[in-house]
Amino acid sequence: MELLGLAIALFGAALAGGMAGVGSAIGIGIAGESAAGVMSEDPDKFVKCLMLQALPGTQGFYGFIIVFMVMNKLQMFGTPLVISWLQGLMIFAACMPVALACWISAISQGKASAAAIQMISKKPDAVGKALVLPAMVETYAVLSLLTSILLLMFGVQLG
Amino acid sequence: MGVAELKKVELYYHKSVEENVARIVQRSGVCQIIESAEGPEARLAETENRLAACEEQEAYLRYLFRTLGSHYTDPVSSIDRLLGERQVFSLDELAQIAQETDLKELVSSVKTTEAKLNELRIEISQHKVNAGILSKIKGFPYPLSVLGEGTRTLKGVLGTLSAAQSEALKQDLTHSAYSKETELFVAPRKTKDKDAWVVVLYLRSREQEILELCVKNGMTLVDLPAHISDTVARESAKISDRLAECEGEESEILQDLACTADEWMPVVQSMSDYWKVLHDRYHALAASVATDSTVRTCFWVPAAAVPALQKQVEAAGSAVAFVVSDPKEEDRPPTLLMNNAFNRPAEVLTNLYSPPAYGQRDPTSPMAPFFFLFFGMCLGDAGYAIVIASVLWLLFKKYRKIPDGTKNFMRLFYVGAAATFLYGAVTGSFFGDFIDAFPFGAFLRPVKDALLIVDPLKNPVAILGISLLLGVVHLMFGLGVAAYDECRRGNYADAAGGKISWILFVMGLLFVGGGSSAMLPRFFYAPGAVMAVVGTGLIFWYAGRGEKNIFLKVGLGLYALYGSTAYLGDILSYSRLLALGLGSAVIGSVINLLGQMIVGVPFVGWLLAFFVVAGGHVFSLAINLLGAFVHAMRLQYVEFFSKFYTGDGVNFNPLKFQTQYVDIFDEI
Repeated sequence: MELLGLAIALFGAALAGGMAGVGSAIGIGIAGESAAGVMSEDPDKFVKCLMLQALPGTQGFYGFIIVFMVMNKLQMFGTPLVISWLQGLMIFAACMPVALACWISAISQGKASAAAIQMISKKPDAVGKALVLPAMVETYAVLSLLTSILLLMFGVQLG
Repeated sequence: MGVAELKKVELYYHKSVEENVARIVQRSGVCQIIESAEGPEARLAETENRLAACEEQEAYLRYLFRTLGSHYTDPVSSIDRLLGERQVFSLDELAQIAQETDLKELVSSVKTTEAKLNELRIEISQHKVNAGILSKIKGFPYPLSVLGEGTRTLKGVLGTLSAAQSEALKQDLTHSAYSKETELFVAPRKTKDKDAWVVVLYLRSREQEILELCVKNGMTLVDLPAHISDTVARESAKISDRLAECEGEESEILQDLACTADEWMPVVQSMSDYWKVLHDRYHALAASVATDSTVRTCFWVPAAAVPALQKQVEAAGSAVAFVVSDPKEEDRPPTLLMNNAFNRPAEVLTNLYSPPAYGQRDPTSPMAPFFFLFFGMCLGDAGYAIVIASVLWLLFKKYRKIPDGTKNFMRLFYVGAAATFLYGAVTGSFFGDFIDAFPFGAFLRPVKDALLIVDPLKNPVAILGISLLLGVVHLMFGLGVAAYDECRRGNYADAAGGKISWILFVMGLLFVGGGSSAMLPRFFYAPGAVMAVVGTGLIFWYAGRGEKNIFLKVGLGLYALYGSTAYLGDILSYSRLLALGLGSAVIGSVINLLGQMIVGVPFVGWLLAFFVVAGGHVFSLAINLLGAFVHAMRLQYVEFFSKFYTGDGVNFNPLKFQTQYVDIFDEI
């Protein structure tokens, strides 16, 4: 049972990385469908479409950052620390902001990106505004990343 | 600097010099046509012929782009073209080419070739269908003419039906009264084929009954063209010969088209630009007003460019009058941004948002330093900065004629890379932790450590504090600019109540908070408290100043004060500076870690590690670059601009040589 804490902590990290990745995959997929539609009419918009399609991809990376920080915290690149199940739960909790907010926000951002791609198909000059609209959604993914980082660094006391 | 001063120029000229004047105006590239009050098409009737001539040529060109374009590989890549690698022509040269080129002739010859190609393709597909049918009835022993004309007494019918149905048909035929007068041929069938191909031969006198029987059993009748009358084997051979012939002809025609494309596409491209330039010119002329012999055209011209323009126009002859005036109250001139070399690249960002209305503040210069700083913090890696700067440097070195718009955009990233380098150096990030991760980085370690001020991985709270502080500075600066603008317009109440009040309120609260929690020296507390109280007072006064009822006044004031939550949100929004910078650093470190793990593979470890690390960093650079650009931009658009800037202008769009494929210059 002494590994229970570690298991709970890794479960949290896996959810952060996995769910954020799922969200990004869905979001990029939604935006990609829209981009493909626009590009079938006008292939020259490829770069603009690609930029907008890539926006919901960052959430996956935020999840990955948390995975890395948890592994670092547990010294998994050397000899892993042995932690109590309560400490494991703390790390699990610290992973949740990213797991939830990145998952959902990537999907919403994908929808906003898809709409923005439709917008530049009509008004190619508005690409600046089109980039900002999906970026508004990302604010909350960034905040969740920050929350998770702060919780991990200062909320969880090991040893 | 900021928004360039524009003058209204009125040109009166005799119709005899019209072409010449229009050419001078277009060549100068500094005149935006003002549509006459009668609208853009006031003189359409007069200019219609010239426009129609342009449009006719443009229609030919569109056709040629569509047909020849698909057979043409452009030797100049679109990147090269974007970066200014274009052939240069003088307008006279192009006019000469236009005179010598009969586009109509070219179009009709291409059309003929295309028609021939289409006919050939139809024939090929028919042959393929027939060959397909013949391959199904390979063993049929009689000449195929029996299916078409038949003989005097005999006729046959070809068709398909399912295996089961063909069995049923066979049964029906053998059990019918006229079984002796028919013959059924079932073509040998491969097991994966679902349908059987059959031929029923019969005496002509039985045609009616046989056809009914076939239809009853679900047979789909297939007609072969009458000219296929010999045996299956011979006809198949004939068809495959003809098919080979046709395909040979097809590839000849395609080659022919490719040759035509190689020969003509460069001309088509330059002509497309030439006719577009003329089209623009005549379209602009259509917006003037004219009497029987005189034309009046109005332009917006940057004040600095007026004297040179006047000289050029007046050189065109004595039949021209040049009148300069200032924009009037009711005019809505377009906006041309003019900034110094440092701020000019950031004009791109202002224009991406929306340019300021004429006479309003240009937000470029207050925004530019913050944009570069935030961009640097979001990307935050000295190694990536060096990569970006090197790529741009190479591009600038290779391409000498980069168009201004693209050049500014590239310079934007140049300056951004400088900021990124500085931030990366003081936070010790060089391709993530590359210097510490690999032994051959060791010689750089002392340099890195000497420059290091704060490591965001070890002390994120310090960077968070700096990020939020920068946010406060940015927002307060925006409010300050707004207050200054209001004062300049004489709206002192708006400045004090709507802007300065909030500066006092927010800064006051921060001083009180900082002073009481020992983050700031204690003596900030008292002035902070005074500022917050004065700020609150101003907010209440400003919100309730239109109301007499005291309760309403207080209510409105409280409601305005509730707006402070927006400021809290705005300031917290700057925490993204920490998060994105940290993101680059961590992703970079993970890539290096993967490299370290893979180095241990025997023999090829270093090579694998090289590819993993190099590829990983290219990917990380791409995604972080996009993030840094978008988020640095967003902080300007959403948090900063909302404090003082509306941006309801339209861009200055002068009549000029706007081309896609070649560069045009003009000497008169």
